Amino acid sequence: MTELLGIPPVLLFGQLLIGLINGLFYALMSMGVAIIFGMLRIGNFVHGAQYMLGAFGAWFLISLPDLFPGLGLPSLGYWWALVLVPPAVAVIGALMERVFIRRVYNLEHAYGLLLTVGMAFVIEGLFNVKFGAAGQQYGVPDLLKGGVNLGFMFLPIYRIWVIVAALVVCFGTWAVIERTRLGAYLRAATENPDLVRTFGINVPRMLMLTYAFGVGLAGLTGVMAAPIYQVSPQMGQSIIITIFAVVVIGGMGSIMGAIVSGIGLGVIEGLTKVFWPEASSTAIFICMALVLILRPQGLFGKETSAHSGADITIARRESILENGRIWIPVLAIGGLLLPYLVYPVFAMKILCFALFACAYNLIFGYVGLLAFGHAAFFGASAYGTAHLASVWGWSPEASLLGGVVLATGLGALFGWLAIRRQGLYFAMITLALAQVLVFYAVQANWTHGEDGIQSVPRGMLFGVFDLNDMMTMYFFVLAVFLIGFAFIYRLLRSPFGQVLRAIRDNEARATSLGYSTERFKLIAFTLSALLAGVAGGVKALVFQIASLADLHFMTSADALLMTLIGGVGTILGPVVGAAIVVTLQREFAEFGAWVIVVQGAAFVLCVLFLRQGVVGTLENWLGRRAERAREAGLSRRDPAE
Amino acid sequence: MTDTIIETRGLVRRFSGFTAVDGVNLKIARNSVHALIGPNGAGKTTVFNLISKFLAPSEGQILFNGRDITRTKPAEVARQGMVRSFQISAIFGRMTVAENLRIALQRPTGLSMNFLRGDTVLAGLDGRVDELLDAVGMLDWRDRPAAGLPYGRKRALEFATTLALDPELMLLDEPMAGLGTEDIERITALIAGEAQRRTILMVEHNLSVVAELADRITVLARGNMLAEGNYADISADEAVIEAYIGGDID
Ligand SMILES: Nc1ncnc2c1ncn2[C@@H]1O[C@H](COP(=O)(O)OP(=O)(O)OP(=O)(O)O)[C@@H](O)[C@H]1O
Ligand SMILES: [Mg+2]
Repeated sequence: MTELLGIPPVLLFGQLLIGLINGLFYALMSMGVAIIFGMLRIGNFVHGAQYMLGAFGAWFLISLPDLFPGLGLPSLGYWWALVLVPPAVAVIGALMERVFIRRVYNLEHAYGLLLTVGMAFVIEGLFNVKFGAAGQQYGVPDLLKGGVNLGFMFLPIYRIWVIVAALVVCFGTWAVIERTRLGAYLRAATENPDLVRTFGINVPRMLMLTYAFGVGLAGLTGVMAAPIYQVSPQMGQSIIITIFAVVVIGGMGSIMGAIVSGIGLGVIEGLTKVFWPEASSTAIFICMALVLILRPQGLFGKETSAHSGADITIARRESILENGRIWIPVLAIGGLLLPYLVYPVFAMKILCFALFACAYNLIFGYVGLLAFGHAAFFGASAYGTAHLASVWGWSPEASLLGGVVLATGLGALFGWLAIRRQGLYFAMITLALAQVLVFYAVQANWTHGEDGIQSVPRGMLFGVFDLNDMMTMYFFVLAVFLIGFAFIYRLLRSPFGQVLRAIRDNEARATSLGYSTERFKLIAFTLSALLAGVAGGVKALVFQIASLADLHFMTSADALLMTLIGGVGTILGPVVGAAIVVTLQREFAEFGAWVIVVQGAAFVLCVLFLRQGVVGTLENWLGRRAERAREAGLSRRDPAE
Repeated sequence: MTDTIIETRGLVRRFSGFTAVDGVNLKIARNSVHALIGPNGAGKTTVFNLISKFLAPSEGQILFNGRDITRTKPAEVARQGMVRSFQISAIFGRMTVAENLRIALQRPTGLSMNFLRGDTVLAGLDGRVDELLDAVGMLDWRDRPAAGLPYGRKRALEFATTLALDPELMLLDEPMAGLGTEDIERITALIAGEAQRRTILMVEHNLSVVAELADRITVLARGNMLAEGNYADISADEAVIEAYIGGDID
């Protein structure tokens, strides 16, 4: 046996083994995500960071003498880590549940996800500050060193151990949940918490313990992964997106489903590495897209019942702050003055992101779809525009148009795939699809990998206006922003906009009146992608660069944070939010990795204390004041009658 | 045109093992008022969901005007002229009463995909909005947000919104539930008035309303059709009386 299908067996079996191990990690992680979602209805984005905590926990224990010299602490090895770290991570999880997550149980799903995104940023950001992006090495424990030579391949003992241990944990968890009384309570509590309460079970404690258990699994996975992968602050962020894709494929309905799909996808990924290495990083996401087309509810999921998007809009439509006839001129005048108050480049950055956030608000605020990958459209258009302008030598307006067409096409495609699933799944799918573009941009030639496309020429707009002139560029950006803003405002008051309102209010009723609601949502999603593309393309011209950062999840998170801080579903909120976030980013830029921590904290604080956002809070205050004034007016008139 | 507007053949719907609707064969005559009655949990709402395509049948076939709609999407059957209401009143709470009606009237205009024109293009519908509001006696409530209406008014608004589409077939799921005597009288009169122009299939627990309105009645129990006929036939039927004992016959 020398070759199989023209592939050396060493390579084939080596990759199969890695695929199997990764698959088991996926299984352990997605099981935790599924349990937490099933019980708490929380999309636990911070799961990746908790996995990272597990790996770092192991590294801490072994490095105790180096970390705290002089205290005479022993170096605690792998076996200690295996015993101590998962419970410790679980306790951290329990605290997180107690302090933060508990507060959002009764809110829309979207808030749970945003809260955990914020916590993930804080944790990963802090580790980044302390340890930098570089990874730490963690050695294989002595007992498990070495390997077995099978003739056709070398089988490291540590990997055998991981496979056996992970399988035991997977099926142990499955047995507990499906076969024991405790598991039966858990499942019952998922369906009907009140009923379980009448059995005298303390539901809040049960929720906390469930969360801790799921998080503990992530911690355990982290410890097992430490000797195989680099222990680094980023290790969680890449895996969580994959885990979400696995969960979408399997469906969150069953534990066995999570195990089987996790392992299967790991193996598929490993095999892709052998047969088509370029596609290996995207294999799972392509599987996800296929499953969505062929079996939208997921391989093991139950039929999804129709339920409408998140209702998180707080705007008061009649408020003066929602009146575009006033605010479009005000924004125009403010925009004309802005470059004389702050640096024009900074002002242009605010405008680009304000338009991006407005585009995002269209889908999140007005349709109630928690899109989680809008950077895909922003970044795709940035790359498209940059390429057309610098390689093909197109004029800026033609390049921008090309970029926007690309973003719109992707928007239609991603939307078509994602709209098949609702709520949290929608977020996970858009996130995963956006990640495919990141992998693509890392590998493709024309995107220039880590460097991105640099020195993009700004050129002559319509052959007349020289965009190399700072103020000309600025006024072009301002004009684009105002047109985009006015477009959204018009859309919201159009017949189409009325249907969107109806769908968000009561999707089933809109259907019964004959509206194909999915088509309306898809059009809105595509238009939102189009506008995000406009913002991204303009950004590429302003900063003369398109880079991976434009596609990165952090950019999607930026748009989300801006919308949230400003006020979801208000017309001015995204603009205000963009000004705040861009300013914050500039102020904290000199503190390096702290930016992420601050942004994460902003997410957490907004979700807990400022869900209405700045503009929403203001609208509420004005609205209540007007109501009081009206009541006072009435009571004054009454006696006269 | 046949005289049967809706026909179901061997309609079955299972929910993870439990059979909620078990082989229902209905024939609804055009321009009649047909009532579906039965004890709680009999499967009436499920039959509604199946006919209006909000649920897919596990087995069986549904014909609307002789056309097979077993695989048609719910919005599509609505556009073909079958409009349903819901057991729990379904209105657009954030919109005003007038906007609720306008969203229904706007659908046949073909303007709904237009996102570049202001909603002033819909001003032509306002006359019809007022007519409909007048018909249900709600002109004074025109510009109120729908969420703040009393329950009876919400039901009336829902009824008017359904009417706005001038449907050939109206499915009403417990239109009287939760209403006081006065509201019941008003809505009964409205339904009676509309019965001249269209077919109405209704689920209703209030048997005096059923007696007054229905030309034909189907009794459902545990997903099965127990009996069918006019009010006199049904109230004399042994099996029906049996099924309702301990049930909730008025
Ligand atoms: N989505 C669902 N999943 C599981 N079971 C369901 C579902 N919908 C209905 N059922 C079950 O099917 C049976 C019939 O329900 P249905 O709502 O059709 O009854 P109904 O005749 O409308 O009762 P009511 O008079 O209370 O409105 C009930 O036992 C109900 O629990
Ligand atoms: Mg019912």
